Amino acid sequence: MTGRRGKAIVMWTLTLTSVVMLGLPTIIIIGASFTSGDMIRFPPQGLSLRWYGELLGEVAFRSAFWRSLYVSVICTLISIPIGVLAGLATMRYRLAFGRTIQVYLLLPFTIPLVVSGIGMMLFFGEIRILGSLWPVGVALSVINIPFMIWSVAAAIGGLDPELEDAAANCGARPVQIFFTVTLPAIASGIITGALLMFILAFNEFLVSLLLTDSRTVTLPVQIYNSIRNVITPDLAAVSVVYIVIALVTIWVLDRLAGLDIFLRSR
Amino acid sequence: MKQAPANSWRPIDAVEAVVSTVWPRRWRDKIGWPFIAPALLLVGILVIGLGYIIQDSLHELDIATYRLGDDYTLANYGILAQKTVYRTVIGRTLLAAAIVTGVSLFLALPYAYVLTRTSSSAMRKFLLVAIFLPFFIGQVVRAYGWLIILGAKGLVNSLLGLLGIAPLDLLFNYGAVIFGLIQYMVPFAVLLLLPALAAIPEDVELASENLGANWMQTFWHVVLPMARPGLVGASVVVFTLTLTDFATPEILGGGTTDFIANTIYDSFFEISDPGLGSALSVVLVTIGSALVGLVFLALGTGTLDIARHQE
Repeated sequence: MTGRRGKAIVMWTLTLTSVVMLGLPTIIIIGASFTSGDMIRFPPQGLSLRWYGELLGEVAFRSAFWRSLYVSVICTLISIPIGVLAGLATMRYRLAFGRTIQVYLLLPFTIPLVVSGIGMMLFFGEIRILGSLWPVGVALSVINIPFMIWSVAAAIGGLDPELEDAAANCGARPVQIFFTVTLPAIASGIITGALLMFILAFNEFLVSLLLTDSRTVTLPVQIYNSIRNVITPDLAAVSVVYIVIALVTIWVLDRLAGLDIFLRSR
Repeated sequence: MKQAPANSWRPIDAVEAVVSTVWPRRWRDKIGWPFIAPALLLVGILVIGLGYIIQDSLHELDIATYRLGDDYTLANYGILAQKTVYRTVIGRTLLAAAIVTGVSLFLALPYAYVLTRTSSSAMRKFLLVAIFLPFFIGQVVRAYGWLIILGAKGLVNSLLGLLGIAPLDLLFNYGAVIFGLIQYMVPFAVLLLLPALAAIPEDVELASENLGANWMQTFWHVVLPMARPGLVGASVVVFTLTLTDFATPEILGGGTTDFIANTIYDSFFEISDPGLGSALSVVLVTIGSALVGLVFLALGTGTLDIARHQE
């Protein structure tokens, strides 16, 4: 086991164990969604699109889907300008208390989600906006904004400041430089960040659970509520919607930034 | 062909004029502040929320009115310290966080190693997609998948049935929660280990093997110490995410193995005592920050150092 072969066997066995563990729920859900029976059984009974049809007829899931979409769009629209400006500020300008600001901006990651969610629930309740849908979008932007700032900051880090200086030398003024040089150059970072914000908002469960009520449930909360009652294959069909969206996101991220970016050593 | 009007530069010129009036040139070295302000305000919502939690934690529930009393008191913290149920929950959560961190790193290390060392770009892409897919599917959907697999009439019990083995209770216990959490954390651990492992040149490993070390010795004495920043970062992230998790114990534990986050939720929505729930929230933040602080003091900040992102 200490030879080259042994190393390959150990490494690949452990890796494949993880691959199976990571992939199994996804594959099982996809399989279960095509059953024609009333229950999820093994081996499955028959093959059909029945549950996808039933899904389209279920108002609760359909409206929860649209609410999730609405909340995710709000979250993304708020995050883009805030993230771009903050990314520029942290990368391009020396701010006093820079270190403190960085720690402060990472608070959404260091404060436990349940605490952030409850804190915002108390605050939103106090200013009487709890129960509306748009504050959920704002809250989701709050808890994930570091992802947006990181994506933009990484893109700005890869942009040569001399390009902007050159534009200034040619007579361009600050606003024009921003829109014609800086913005196009960091566009892929902005799109990457926006995509992350969207998909994470679309998936988010705990903060949505705390900030919604029966009239404003989002899709993950709706799935959770249905799990508690009884497990029917229609949930598998909704879950496939998530799997498809996740696959599309990964494909787009790979085209934009390349998944290999995560292999870069720091 | 339509020609652009000759004065098309005018709108942008007007914008420039407005901007330079609102923010004159001599304030140029302070231009970072209006840029960072929206982000500071956004995160401010979180800080205000924390303020409400601390405030509520200092007021005791008045049983007569079911509202928080007006007097400042540490009574809620007293209750948390006295009742064994809270110690049990905190102990259970800390133990789970330790186990999950250990096992996730054990699985993530070879995964990240194979990912950085494989020569096949197709394999590399496959392994990356395999981590990102569960990451983007969300916790609820994944837990639902495990309900199908581990349930009384699920995949595992059906397979056991074919072998003539009686169905096992695989769900709604501590083991199921730990397992679900490990599956949830491995992608995080791999992503945080990748940069550290990618930074280790293969030549170093070859040198170690040339000097007579077998691969296990090389891994233990060369790769692991060099990957330390990544190991520290991954441990801290996995530990704190497990410590504060809600969905996995809720769905796969089925109310039998509540973690701190579930107990906080129940304080608000089951026993309707926001004071007690807030106090437990403050305790959770304190435990989390104290542990992370200790690790950083003892081992350095690893890959999580914020200053690195600025360079």
